Amino acid sequence: MRYALFVPLILFVALAQVATAPYFPLLGVTANPLLVLLMCWAMVRGPRETMVLIPVAGIFKDLITTDPVGASVLALLPIVPLAAIRERWPTESEFLPTLVVVAAASVSYHVLYMLVLTVVGDGPPWLQSPIRVILPAALFNALITPILYLPVRWATTLSEMVRPSIGVPG
Amino acid sequence: MRTLVWVLVVGLVALVGIALSQMGALDPLRNGALTVASPLERGLRAVASPAADFLDNATDRQDLEEENRLLRQQIEELTAEIANLKEAGFTAADLAELAEVEESRPDDEFLVTRVIARDPSNLKERLAIDHGSSDGIREGMVVMSEGGSLVGVVSKVLDDFAWVTLITDPNSNVNAMVLESRAQGVVTGSLHDGLSLDLIPQDAEVEPGDTVATSALGGNFPQALLIGQVAAVRGEPQDLFKQAEVEPAASLSGLENVLVLTSFVATRLVSP
Repeated sequence: MRYALFVPLILFVALAQVATAPYFPLLGVTANPLLVLLMCWAMVRGPRETMVLIPVAGIFKDLITTDPVGASVLALLPIVPLAAIRERWPTESEFLPTLVVVAAASVSYHVLYMLVLTVVGDGPPWLQSPIRVILPAALFNALITPILYLPVRWATTLSEMVRPSIGVPG
Repeated sequence: MRTLVWVLVVGLVALVGIALSQMGALDPLRNGALTVASPLERGLRAVASPAADFLDNATDRQDLEEENRLLRQQIEELTAEIANLKEAGFTAADLAELAEVEESRPDDEFLVTRVIARDPSNLKERLAIDHGSSDGIREGMVVMSEGGSLVGVVSKVLDDFAWVTLITDPNSNVNAMVLESRAQGVVTGSLHDGLSLDLIPQDAEVEPGDTVATSALGGNFPQALLIGQVAAVRGEPQDLFKQAEVEPAASLSGLENVLVLTSFVATRLVSP
């Protein structure tokens, strides 16, 4: 039932990214709100739900861009292992580790994405990419993390508060 | 263990998807997805565009924007005209060449299309237009701005949509020449570093402000289609070739409509 809400939400974020991200560049690159949202989601709520959302969002995004269908799914895959690794080492603060894994996921996203593009014969210049794309994008994605992390955190806290009261008979 | 299984299964599905899309088997699905998504995208772009403009210039933005847009268009049109005049001004030898060009392009036919999306990837410079193979658009067709300068090439065609690879894309290469000196070179895109004219012979005279246009070499572009102007020239005397930075004539980030040159067939499209 919850996926009836989550799937349209994540599809909307993918669509909004495709439509609006090129209008707001920083450091010569565009942000990847879809990746940041999925990473925050996996960090706050655990990786289970993102296992469903990643293929859905990735395939939809690829269908409406020039990417080979499946490229974004592959590039987003490391989100789940990163969140699973993080689960094994719980820390007091959740936000700082989220910033770190968003940056790490952003780097792995671009490396895998470039690999796919190279394999299909549409490869970007690998030597220029780390300085011009990969690092600025990791920084930009880390910068927008609070904007997406806080709503996910609040929505999760709210749903945890509401859930027990539903189960209590009046 | 569960994570590993998930990674393997989803990774495999993704690889199958990539293989299928490379074969074009998913093109109908892409066309359907764009049909559904493009009105929503247009709505989102309509909201995002003014917001981005507002961030760019908070004061007097509408007047300045409109004025800037008109001036840019005028500059582009005038520069294209100058490029044509310069080209037409060359002497008899060149006239014969021009006659050949004219013969191969008896009547230019254009299709006006609307830009419906830009690829958000940081590694590509592409945009989607609202016409596809059902309107006669084919891969390799040349795309121009409203002002008449080169924008890019149609690189992927669906039934009702097409993707255009811009000249600033890192994988874009256009045979070009400097009109003033007739120096030949290749205009290449790059990652967020604009256009550059590479492989200019060391003895060729190229100055900032010179006009760069397509050469017919290779047969992929019509001759003397305006690309831009030389902004700076780089290179040491010991280098084999010179390199020049080129400022594109068209405002590639703000394109709303583009013209697809349907009458020009690139050489590579002609079957042997």
